[in-house]
Amino acid sequence: MREFMILVRTEGDHLAGLPAEAQQAHVQKIGAYIGGLMESGKLKGAQPFEQEGASFQGGKGVFKDGPFNESKEVIVGYFHITAENLEEAVAIAKANPMFEEGQATVEVRVVKQMEGIN
Amino acid sequence: MAETKTHISDQVNHLFRHEYGKLVSVLTKTFGASNMELAEDVVQDAMLEAIRQWEHTGVPENPMGWIYKVAKNKAVNIVNRDQYKREYMSEVAHHLQSEWTIEPALDRMFTDKEIADDQLRMMFTCCNPAVSKDSQVALTLKTLCGFGIPEIANAFLTTEENINKRLVRARKNLREERARFEVPVGSELEPRLNSVLETLYLLFNEGYNATSGKDLIQYELCEEAIRLAEIITDNPSFPFASNAYALLALMCFNASRFKSRTDEFDNIIDLENQDRSLWNQELIQNGLHYLELTTQERTLSIYHILATISAHHCTAKDFASTDWESILQLYDHLMQFDSSPLVVLNRAIVLSKTEGVAPALTVLKSIENEPTIKTYLPFYTAMAALHFLNNNAKEACKLLERALEFTNQEQSKSMIISRLETYSKKD
Repeated sequence: MREFMILVRTEGDHLAGLPAEAQQAHVQKIGAYIGGLMESGKLKGAQPFEQEGASFQGGKGVFKDGPFNESKEVIVGYFHITAENLEEAVAIAKANPMFEEGQATVEVRVVKQMEGIN
Repeated sequence: MAETKTHISDQVNHLFRHEYGKLVSVLTKTFGASNMELAEDVVQDAMLEAIRQWEHTGVPENPMGWIYKVAKNKAVNIVNRDQYKREYMSEVAHHLQSEWTIEPALDRMFTDKEIADDQLRMMFTCCNPAVSKDSQVALTLKTLCGFGIPEIANAFLTTEENINKRLVRARKNLREERARFEVPVGSELEPRLNSVLETLYLLFNEGYNATSGKDLIQYELCEEAIRLAEIITDNPSFPFASNAYALLALMCFNASRFKSRTDEFDNIIDLENQDRSLWNQELIQNGLHYLELTTQERTLSIYHILATISAHHCTAKDFASTDWESILQLYDHLMQFDSSPLVVLNRAIVLSKTEGVAPALTVLKSIENEPTIKTYLPFYTAMAALHFLNNNAKEACKLLERALEFTNQEQSKSMIISRLETYSKKD
């Protein structure tokens, strides 16, 4: 078993445009998806991020603010899971019902584990 | 309207008693053992809300589903509100902190399988060695059996304040110990299981030996002890179940005689004079079944011996055909585990049936100065009965008069007085 971070990026709040009923239905679907991951013991954690945040680039002494802006794609949350391999982790990420409601960019990264510690 | 209200709250009380412990267990697992009181508050709140709501709408089709949902919502609200105020020491603590995972996490907690296991964990948590024996019993009654403080005080013949103190102390001990909500593993398991069984046995005896036998609550204590023991034996993964089966058998046999132990005036009827047709045959059959299951393992505990003694009584056609010889042998075994004056006393009564009154009286004489016996009413009544059989009514009366001096309980007093009357007629 290896650990993976699934980082989810969307443009703004991807649920904002949906009518209330659809939002509710969507929340239920996400709940079922997350519940299933828990049931299988694969979910280590999952949290949404606040819209608020900071982004900057550069090196010591020469930081440049941004790009960070609500209309652009931002990371909206993460899923920390365990899976056999990258293929399985990708399959889990793709099964996320959020893709049914719009476009998103997802990055699946393998958590580097130090031998003998983890 | 008032009538409907009582009706509703009766229904809720019934549900309450049977479901309270399950819900508190689930929520204690969710919040961690150090937040046990919070779990109790949430469940109590949910039950109160149920009463308020159902007074208007009637009891819904699936009342427990309704209460579970309300309890779950209250849990979500509390976690959201107290996010940073509380430390949740539980395996889902991490999932409670996230709005994506809190509801799925709680939903999972409320599944049937989790609930059964959580009651087991709750029993082991209540019987944490950091908590005193008295408090263990009180805490078990409060959290797993849905007993209120006044009811527990009533069952223990003590004050509500006293029970409250015990509960507060127990919860504090668990917090300070940073007790985990789990069934211990490895070498800790067996001693803890024995402690749980001891608590259940105390719980049972609290109901069984109480002198106010008419009170329904006393029988409920016995039922609860049996129900909780069955949670242990129902768990397929449980090792050392032999002792648990033996305790269950013992409790079933004793509970089967519950109704025949007192007359309509609440006077205690001894085994010889009980109406055996009142004995609950279903419980006796359960007891025999459990006793048979104990033989799967080659272990022997006090419960095994006591259960076998009880089995002899329960299966004897009448008092005269009791197999006293076998029972005496069992008491001889028991003496190897426990040679306390109480066991000596009970053995002496059996001895009077097999060897005669004189040797039994000699044995009783040898323990009469033991501190635990000196103010123990059954010692005096037993000894008096033997003297009476031995045609020494005078000595019998003397013993009963001595017993009267330290007996405060009304029922016990009237029992002694009525015996005194019988004995003095022959004098």
